[in-house]
Amino acid sequence: MGFNVLLDIIGSVIIGGMLLLILFRLSDSATENAFNYTGELTSQQNLATVVQILEQDFRKIGYCANWEKIPDPSKSILEADSNKIKFISDLLPEGSPDGNIDTVTYYLGPTSELASTPNPRDRLLYRVINSKSDGGVNLGVTEFKLIYFDALGDTLPFPIINPGAVTSMEINIAVENTSGYDNKYSSVFWRQIRLAARNLKNR
Amino acid sequence: MTGKASLLLILGFSLIFLVFGHNFASLTTRGVDNMVDYYDETVAHDIAVSAANMAANEFFLDNNWNAGFPTTSYNGGTFKVNFSIVDAFRKVYRITSVGNFNNITSNVEITLKPSSFSKFAYFSMSEGGNIWWTGNDTVWGPFHTQDHIRAFQHPTFMGKASSFKSLIYKNNEKSDKPNFNGGYASGVNLPLPTDGVSNLEAAAASGGFVFNKADYTKAKTVYLTFAGDSIKYKFSSTGKETTVLGKTLAPNGVIFAPDVTLRIKGTVKGQYSIGASGNMANQGSVILDDDIVYNSDPRTNPNSKDMLGIVAENDVVIADNAANNSSISIFASIYCENGGFTAENYSSRPVSGDINLYGGIIHKTRGAVGTFDSKTGKTLSGFAKKYRYDDRFLLTSPPSFPGTGMFEIVSWYE
Repeated sequence: MGFNVLLDIIGSVIIGGMLLLILFRLSDSATENAFNYTGELTSQQNLATVVQILEQDFRKIGYCANWEKIPDPSKSILEADSNKIKFISDLLPEGSPDGNIDTVTYYLGPTSELASTPNPRDRLLYRVINSKSDGGVNLGVTEFKLIYFDALGDTLPFPIINPGAVTSMEINIAVENTSGYDNKYSSVFWRQIRLAARNLKNR
Repeated sequence: MTGKASLLLILGFSLIFLVFGHNFASLTTRGVDNMVDYYDETVAHDIAVSAANMAANEFFLDNNWNAGFPTTSYNGGTFKVNFSIVDAFRKVYRITSVGNFNNITSNVEITLKPSSFSKFAYFSMSEGGNIWWTGNDTVWGPFHTQDHIRAFQHPTFMGKASSFKSLIYKNNEKSDKPNFNGGYASGVNLPLPTDGVSNLEAAAASGGFVFNKADYTKAKTVYLTFAGDSIKYKFSSTGKETTVLGKTLAPNGVIFAPDVTLRIKGTVKGQYSIGASGNMANQGSVILDDDIVYNSDPRTNPNSKDMLGIVAENDVVIADNAANNSSISIFASIYCENGGFTAENYSSRPVSGDINLYGGIIHKTRGAVGTFDSKTGKTLSGFAKKYRYDDRFLLTSPPSFPGTGMFEIVSWYE
């Protein structure tokens, strides 16, 4: 075996090794990108799902198929906090309200409830109708923040003693994927600048 | 050999890149699709809401409008609006709007009913020049004035409040801003009608009872006493009293005294509206001689059906007499088409306790019921006000009580 052959082998090993490293790096990068892209898509889909349900419900604050059961809809919000809201509406059965008043509560659970997920910030966003929880589906919600405004458009400070003063609200929701590559989590954010439930002030 | 290996290497890498590139592009496309779906739903919903608003506007402008809208192109999509009758007797109508955008549909349903003045806890055309709503004042139901709302030290309006003219602060917003706990809208034009009293008279003539002017004495006064199931009336303070079963006297619950002063008191059992008209002095006013209360108090019996509307062409006045000098209880919705709710000799009568009003006041001009020390708030003459709104008037009203001539949205489903 001559020196040239040895040189060829060493050269091939170095070049092959470099190619292998590039391949590993490529694989790693591709996996990371695939994870992030998929995570972003999932987060977006989760956000859209959360928002659609939430918009449907919030627009029905103070609504009842039998409108005489809520004589004063301005009193429909029972509790208003920065990450919790309780109101009356008519949501059941889903899609075809029956004219009976339902009490609906939205609130954000603690992060400790989802300690099993890699994301330390995700929480359960609860939707409770008539004290019966729909169960926890982790959609990666990390923020559910409500800001309330009075009839003159001024922000109502917390704690809100009289929820009847609420005329409109701002809703902020952030969703992240529940597990991220290298602890990097995709995040999507949605904000409804002013949601005014029509029944609140229609009489 | 080396050339083939390089070619295979390049082809292999290209294939890998193509697969990854395709997947990433697919993920991005699906992400965009997801937001487009949400956008489409939002636009479909906005189209449905816009069409519902347009239809409601048509109906508010012309209460006989019932045509709906055929399928119409709008904002890149279409809408269709149907008009239907929910309850012909009560004139409850429904507007159903369907918006469509990119094959996604969204529905909005609006239910409307006629609006009555009795729904107001307080209504005025004029706030009497320069009277301020103060921090001691709480209005417990819907409020409207065609005048300014003048606010001093955070008055509280528990129901929906509206005014035609603007909100005025005594000093500034920080020190005077009202607590609008049921919302507030300015620029709402809702004047008192000029035919509210005459419509009541017509209702009394058709199934109710109208006093015969020929029975009046020179004093032109009718004394009416509610006595449970019965109603007593006479035409002078010393005259002979006639007692009739209320349902026999006025089957539809409407009793009217034209061109006269109507003096009332008693305990109301059932649902009645009483009215007085007249343009001469002391005519067209209703004088409260003593308490006028319900047989069954709705505050303790939510199932109480007792209800009273007092409709005057001019004023509704609390008489200055012994019976009223130690508080008065008034259970009724009070309507004064050209006058106001006031107390006789309010500035010279003795301190007379409280006006315990359970109902509402709808009047042209805000009247006075007493005077008070502006520093201590202590009543110097007349009455202190204890007004509470009868929540039942949000849904129902005394028989033939003057309507606003307009409809209101009672339910909005989307």
